[in-house]
Amino acid sequence: MMDAHPWVIDAQELVKTYTMGSSQVRALRGVSLRVAPGEFVALMGTSGSGKSTLMHLLGCLDTPTSGRYLLEGRDVSALSRDGRARLRSRRIGFIFQTYNLLPRLSTLDNVALPLLYQGRVGRVRDRAEEALSRVGLSERARHRPSELSGGERQRVAIARALITRPAIILADEPTGSLDSATGEEIMRLLTELGREGVTLLMVTHDAHIASYAERTLHMRDGRLLEGGEER
Amino acid sequence: MTLANTILSALRGATANKLRAALTTLGIIIGVASVIAMLALGNGARAAVDANFRFLGSDSIQVAAQMAMDHGQIVPAGKILSYEDGLEMTQQVPLIRSVDMSVSSSGKLRYGRAAVDLNITGSTADALQSVVNQGTVQPVNWPEGQKLTTAAFVGEGRFFSPEEVLANAPVCVLGWQTAQDLFGGDNPLGQEVWVNRQRCEVIGVLTELEMVDPSQRLNNDPNEGAYLPISTAVRSLYEQEPTVNITAHVTDEKRIDEAKDALTQYLRSRHEITQQPDGTWPDDFTLTTRRDVLGAQQDAARTFSLLLAAMAVVSLVVGGIGIMNVMLVSVSERTREIGVRMAVGARGRDITAQFLLEAVLLGAVGGLLGVAVGMLAIPVAATLNQGMALLDPNSIPLALGVALLTGVVFGLYPALRASQLDPIEALGYE
Repeated sequence: MMDAHPWVIDAQELVKTYTMGSSQVRALRGVSLRVAPGEFVALMGTSGSGKSTLMHLLGCLDTPTSGRYLLEGRDVSALSRDGRARLRSRRIGFIFQTYNLLPRLSTLDNVALPLLYQGRVGRVRDRAEEALSRVGLSERARHRPSELSGGERQRVAIARALITRPAIILADEPTGSLDSATGEEIMRLLTELGREGVTLLMVTHDAHIASYAERTLHMRDGRLLEGGEER
Repeated sequence: MTLANTILSALRGATANKLRAALTTLGIIIGVASVIAMLALGNGARAAVDANFRFLGSDSIQVAAQMAMDHGQIVPAGKILSYEDGLEMTQQVPLIRSVDMSVSSSGKLRYGRAAVDLNITGSTADALQSVVNQGTVQPVNWPEGQKLTTAAFVGEGRFFSPEEVLANAPVCVLGWQTAQDLFGGDNPLGQEVWVNRQRCEVIGVLTELEMVDPSQRLNNDPNEGAYLPISTAVRSLYEQEPTVNITAHVTDEKRIDEAKDALTQYLRSRHEITQQPDGTWPDDFTLTTRRDVLGAQQDAARTFSLLLAAMAVVSLVVGGIGIMNVMLVSVSERTREIGVRMAVGARGRDITAQFLLEAVLLGAVGGLLGVAVGMLAIPVAATLNQGMALLDPNSIPLALGVALLTGVVFGLYPALRASQLDPIEALGYE
């Protein structure tokens, strides 16, 4: 079914405008972007370039002011709040700079959380254990996030993003809170996942980190830069 | 998200800060405890009336002389209630079906050389029925739960008849122990005994009796005593005419108030009581029905209950606002958690359910503790209400329900606010 559409992400002329007080802020000024299945794409840009806004739209956390966004061929630009939540629980995985694990839940429960919001009951633990073992943290299943190192926490977050077998994983500065050695480890893990067929879109401002991706896009002032498409 | 998981999440949330949760529920605890105590008071008053006024049947009007203190002695305020007052009641007041009367005094009983001092009761022929109705004594070894009859109280011979009462018959009925004391093993029936200076024929002996309440058995022996027709007792035992206890039974319970008015008219005319210039009647008697007693008891309980009800409402509102406050704090403290949950797929209703359940959980904890506190408070409430307070079993589910409802009502706003957060803002962007 997925193969019927050549693009996981097919965004056309996305515009996002915020009203701040009396002034209009144009965060995105017409962004078109296509990502093929299994691709690993890096999105670079300075702060204020609009890369976070783009990621929120692609992650269905927000809707564009205008433009069309097809996720796996389906137009999701005008979905309701609940519709977007449903989509996020099934087709999108998030990795954050600050991990964003729930401190009171065990590692395993953190990983299982997206499945619970899908309303699943059966095999939840098995799948959470599988995902944890994929990131090499099986022996940490009972630990709380506060008992883990930064690198381990980010691995848990990656397992949480993987567990629903999403169409795409969106990573926002995944190494931004880690030392460079640990950052390399995380990038090696993401690259491996990319080779296994997971589609990844990573936001970063670090050119070295971006070099792990197959393709790097550059943003400035709410637009993708011409000619910045290919590495 | 499934219900079980929502409950788990809520449990984790509510127990994360135990001290705060405990303080928050204080208002609920006091409110629920007040509800329990309040209902216990009403229930206690009802139970007390049932227990103490069982003898006052729903068809009965108790007639008593108005008493006053005179030089440290209790004396009738006006005229006494005489045997004749009672005797003519049934003829003069058509709504009165029958009248029970009794007097009692201490006296001396002699047979041959044997003599005993004892309590002598003069009564109408229905006296045994009154004893049965009162239900405080029963024949020894009476099977539990079996209905008492007057026949079961008579061991040998018979009790005196209404005709013997009207005719001042010189007859008497003895208590079981009294018969033993005077006659040893001999048959007392047909023998003549002296009751003070009156000769009476023994026509009956009661069964051996005991108090129904085992704790009263040491203090009270119902087997010592003698019963005479009230007419005989009034003539022979007293130097002055005694005031008698009268209980009138009405023909129709529904017309008991009418009967009470008629009885008042009758006694006023017999006692020559006239209306005062200020419109009042200086009655020297009081009439009491079961409803009067119940009303007075419930009035007393009601005042106190109202106070508790007000306290319950105020505490529950304060407790509810406490829950709302703590939930609002919790929502703002856990904004990022809400954002994360939304990012991984929680819908608005999942977030609402989680926080609402947390609030209900706080209400439930407060409710359970409140029930415990309320049950401990019942004895305290009882001392303020003449010992009348008894746990009403229905009050526990009611109070718990009120506590849960408070959680729902005051948890709804914070929960809805949490569910309407923007996931991007909640995640800490912008």
